Amino acid sequence: MAQQRRLTGYRRPDGSVGTRNHVAILPVDDLSNAAAEGIAALVPGTLALPHAFGRLQFGDDLDLTFRTLIGIGSNPNIAAVIVIGIEPNWTDVVADGIAKTGKPVHRVAIEGKGDLRVIESASRYAKKFLQESSELTRQPVDRSDIVLSMKDGESDTTTGLGSCRVTAYLVDRWVESGGTMIFGETSELTGGEHLIAERCVDDDVRARFQAFYDDYVDMIEKTGANLLGSQPTQGNIAGGLSTIEEKAMGNIVKTGTVPIVGALAPAEAPTRPGLHFMDTSSAAAECVTLMAAGRGVVNLFPTGQGNVIGNPVQPVVKISANPKTTDSMADHIDVDCSDVLTQESTVEQAGEALIDLVERTINGRVTASEALNHREFTLTKLYRSA
Amino acid sequence: MTSSRPDFLAHRTGDAVAVAVRDLVPGPVRGGYLDDGDAAEELSLHHDVPLGHKLALRDIGAGEDVIEYGVRTAVASADIARGDYVHTHNVRSARWHNSVA
Repeated sequence: MAQQRRLTGYRRPDGSVGTRNHVAILPVDDLSNAAAEGIAALVPGTLALPHAFGRLQFGDDLDLTFRTLIGIGSNPNIAAVIVIGIEPNWTDVVADGIAKTGKPVHRVAIEGKGDLRVIESASRYAKKFLQESSELTRQPVDRSDIVLSMKDGESDTTTGLGSCRVTAYLVDRWVESGGTMIFGETSELTGGEHLIAERCVDDDVRARFQAFYDDYVDMIEKTGANLLGSQPTQGNIAGGLSTIEEKAMGNIVKTGTVPIVGALAPAEAPTRPGLHFMDTSSAAAECVTLMAAGRGVVNLFPTGQGNVIGNPVQPVVKISANPKTTDSMADHIDVDCSDVLTQESTVEQAGEALIDLVERTINGRVTASEALNHREFTLTKLYRSA
Repeated sequence: MTSSRPDFLAHRTGDAVAVAVRDLVPGPVRGGYLDDGDAAEELSLHHDVPLGHKLALRDIGAGEDVIEYGVRTAVASADIARGDYVHTHNVRSARWHNSVA
């Protein structure tokens, strides 16, 4: 057995471990994006996270936005946070939630001050946080400290045959080593949802999973819409996938063989090691953002036709077994496992190569999506605002 | 070396369809199964099948389940013969009845 690589990461006050060390400027709402970006422009090296929502939301939809923003600020890849909102009450909700992690948080509301005064005052905190975080150093960590997430996109039949099987090899090894993993894409389990239910570790997890699945699919079916071209997507169909069930089996293949120990609400963080399901859309930016809110610190992303997504908080590692894609979209692919498709290398060999690349990414290697500045940060909305 | 590379791969023994792992043209093709490295399959392909697209390993009547990964992944919407190209023109989702070409 290969000797395990020495892993390093940033250990946060709550004990969680990050693979990156950002100072985030987090708007509570769309109105605060301009000020957030103003602060990041004055203090380069900080990370503004503009997004489209956060006003007049209510009920479960508002709860999800709060849980997402608090989860993002609490992600161990973030060292310190400036929370900025138009009004103080919701700004406090988000800032108080993040402050529970013990990391530095500064909050500011725009009403009564205006953007320029807010940018000036908050930029001083941003500068201070940036200088302080620059002195944090990577510490030795274990696989059991690291939460990995996974999502596939622009899938085709080569994902089920190649990149998802290679990812599954990593999933089983990571969980055996005490690590934590998150998968999702609720509607994209259709046709194989019974296989997921069977792997749930107990009846409570199984019931929770089944309720998430049934609710999501009911919502889709109630529209009465023709899903062909949406799920599966045009790209999926161009890649050879014919039905949601066929696409789902590729999604399921990548989860490996370990038991499923948790069924998480969108943006909910796992509380124990092992493989967790999270209730998410299959849209890449929404899904990866929810998983970052669930404290994922690196995302594994098998792709067939070549999805280009990145995320500002958790680095996204692209894995492809499609030889046309690894050639035409090589700029976006971190791990080429097309040799698995031609049976010139085994899943074990490709899986060890993937583990090597993921561990180097944990240790600080910049992914293709980071290098190309892909920072898709997209909140999931459950219904219209009031 | 080249001759040992498969033209197509199926996930499980018993699957009704397999995936082309290179661009295929009509004529004799050969492939294998992921779950049984010793099992080989040879057939005469009737259509062009691009890399990543599917071909039928056996005859499938209209309305019959299409088995892949050992589970039902589609229902045939037309009669399909062994060696035919298989995609949205002759299979549809069994679960999402509106998901049709």
